[in-house]
Amino acid sequence: MNARADMISTPAVQLQGSSRLSAFGSAFVANGFTMYPVLLVIVIIGAFVAPSFLTAVNLINILEQVSVLGLTTIGLTFVVLIGRLDLSLEGIVGFAPMLAAVMLVPAAAGGFGVELPGWSGLLIALATAGVIGVFNGFMVVKVGLNPFISTLGLLVLLRGGVLIVSSGRSIYSPGAALTFLGSATVYGIPVSVFVFLVIAVIVGVVFQYHRYGRALYAVGGNEEAARAAGINVDRVIWSAFIFAALLSGLAGVLMTGRLDSAVTTQGQGIIFSAFAAAVIGGVSLGGGKGTIIGVVGGVLLIGVINNLLTLAQVPSFYVQASTGAVIVVAAILTTVASNRSSGVKTRT
Amino acid sequence: MTSDKAIVAMRNITKTFGSTRALRGVDFTVGQGEVHALLGRNGAGKSTLVSALSGFTPADTGHLRISDTEVTANGQSYAASIRNDIAHVQQTPRLFNLLTVAENLFLESPSVRNRFGMVSHRQMQARAAELLGEWNIDIAPGALAASLDAGTRQLLEIIKALSRGVPVMILDEPTAALSNAEKRILFQHVKALKAKGISFVYISHHLDEIFEVADIVTIMRDGQVVKAREPVANLDVQIIANLMMGEETTRSLREDHTQHAAPVLLKARNLRLNAKVETTFDFEVRAGEIIALAGPVGGGKEDLAMILAGQKKPAGGEVTSPRGSLPTIGLVPTDRHESGYVGMLGVRENVSLGGLDLLSDSFGFIRREKESTHVGNLARQTRVISSSLEQPVSQLSGGNQQKVVFARALCRNPEVIVAMSPTRGVDVGAKEQLYGLLRDLARRGMGIVVVSDEEDEIEQLANRVAIIVEGKFVSELVNDYDLTDLILHMEGVA
Repeated sequence: MNARADMISTPAVQLQGSSRLSAFGSAFVANGFTMYPVLLVIVIIGAFVAPSFLTAVNLINILEQVSVLGLTTIGLTFVVLIGRLDLSLEGIVGFAPMLAAVMLVPAAAGGFGVELPGWSGLLIALATAGVIGVFNGFMVVKVGLNPFISTLGLLVLLRGGVLIVSSGRSIYSPGAALTFLGSATVYGIPVSVFVFLVIAVIVGVVFQYHRYGRALYAVGGNEEAARAAGINVDRVIWSAFIFAALLSGLAGVLMTGRLDSAVTTQGQGIIFSAFAAAVIGGVSLGGGKGTIIGVVGGVLLIGVINNLLTLAQVPSFYVQASTGAVIVVAAILTTVASNRSSGVKTRT
Repeated sequence: MTSDKAIVAMRNITKTFGSTRALRGVDFTVGQGEVHALLGRNGAGKSTLVSALSGFTPADTGHLRISDTEVTANGQSYAASIRNDIAHVQQTPRLFNLLTVAENLFLESPSVRNRFGMVSHRQMQARAAELLGEWNIDIAPGALAASLDAGTRQLLEIIKALSRGVPVMILDEPTAALSNAEKRILFQHVKALKAKGISFVYISHHLDEIFEVADIVTIMRDGQVVKAREPVANLDVQIIANLMMGEETTRSLREDHTQHAAPVLLKARNLRLNAKVETTFDFEVRAGEIIALAGPVGGGKEDLAMILAGQKKPAGGEVTSPRGSLPTIGLVPTDRHESGYVGMLGVRENVSLGGLDLLSDSFGFIRREKESTHVGNLARQTRVISSSLEQPVSQLSGGNQQKVVFARALCRNPEVIVAMSPTRGVDVGAKEQLYGLLRDLARRGMGIVVVSDEEDEIEQLANRVAIIVEGKFVSELVNDYDLTDLILHMEGVA
């Protein structure tokens, strides 16, 4: 019996001769590096087109600009990995810091008049974001709503909420404690850049090496299989919404810091850029696929393109359309590369 | 042969998936009015060949003719050009869950449209009711497809294809989800249609079905035909099995590893399977036992298994371990595509999903070396064949996918393993390997619960058989029973 069974065990799949190269290609794409060569090409082109592009000041400037989008996109990646989406992240970017600001500043400056101590600002913003995340998770897990409609509703609600708590006025100078993360610099490098990079590394490590990350990929890849494997699927879904909201809240705080004010229109439109960055970075909107390395690549690409179009003095009317065109091309490239390399068809 | 005129002629068909050559220049001919069985192990290329025939996955090269339509394959889709010549019933039903039974049956069917292209719902309902009556199926034409059980869905898919009035039909594992009674009805219809000159390509792992309905047999191995157009009368089970395997094969026998006074691993008390049933029963799993849950599809054996595995709440009663806490249980779910594996992830990631808590440190980070060693051991134990542990499970053959699911169920060193349809859609070789694995686990003191619709499988494995009908524990067979006893009990005769 054993001898016979061993004879059956001839390899069913044989690798081709060019397997090394194709294995490298597959790993390159699977690990999220697809966009980096493109990024390199654009940087080289940029260096010729705009002399001021390839300077330390400008590169740091780009990093600072993308840190808000970067955190939001990393947050979005949590929910997209499990095959869901969260439109309300955009609302959180505006609402969480605004609520913190009105709790801090005196009534004369547009606050509620409670004038809480400055250090509590970050906590209020994150707590607000966390509560919204809990609510989103509840709607999806317990009530069973489609996250598109539940988070769309919440997005609109939060936009209105910003106007209500601020009476429609932006709050200027909400205090150094709240704006520190978004405005301070260390050795000439903005703290916000460090925040973005540190979070990216932590989340990247969790996705790759932590059981929670493994659970996210499993739930996104096949929810029922994850359940049968003993994973608490509901808890994973719920927590993904909470992490997404927290990171968006943090992104909002960075933005408020950079502007030194909580603006009523803060964060508007960012969810579209976040989706674009995620897809360009190789995150599958169907769930189960995507890496933080890829997401960072997608975010950088969008940041560099925006920066370059401005530096190259492209008429402002054309900037938006050009960005859109680049997003479409990059998304096509990522999807084709990923389908080619993995042989698994995904719709992004 | 019933007729000399070939209605299907495939010449030199090839198909490559990535680096796997699934079809290596296959010739395949079907005569008019014959039931042509296509046999082979999993991964032999049967499903790929019929998919190339129906255009579902177009062939790379080769030439094919169905009745009067000629196609030269070049990898591009040609399904539309042969749409009126062939119908293909796939292994898993592809129904529209949110459409009614009638709508599913007559989707895209010109027979219920008037000349302006408008669909008459009344006519459709009436014709559906008539069709369902012919097949003796007791469901309303207006019922949603989502509300049907697996057997009815499968039957509906078959009826839909058979009622299209095409000259060639492909039935790929049509009986996998059918009860015995449903199988009878299917075979009657196949025979009736054959008499009208309709040809069938029939794929099944159940050789008894082949001897019952097939006229001609073609056997494939490793993407090639090893026996073409052999009349079924010239073959027996042993010859077929040898041709499929390419070597001698024997059917393994059940072993008894039940120890006297073995500890009880899992105890279910006063169990009520669903709210409709009044009666309760107790159920125990002892170390070293292989217990089979048998009975009609949807009769409650699946519910019992899911309850034992902790995946479903019983309507009454509780499942405990004598140690007080809940027992550790590994589950092999019924449908591996739906709930068995995560196709995008590799073997390593799939297997370790079953025991992430065991494989990670106190901060929850996965210990990669421990993971690799543990998964490597499990993959060897379950005899998974893959190019590496990183290969996506979606690229493996059915048998290997199932072994990955077993490895995952074993990942957290369970006391009891619940295996539902453990060898569904798995070839003879992999089947015997999985049986060997289950016996080995029993010998080491694990409790095994198998849910199966195959009498042979139960008879080869189980030391104890629990018959579950309509949510009730009807009877039990212990130790010395044979296939006849089993079938009689399952039919509710004994």
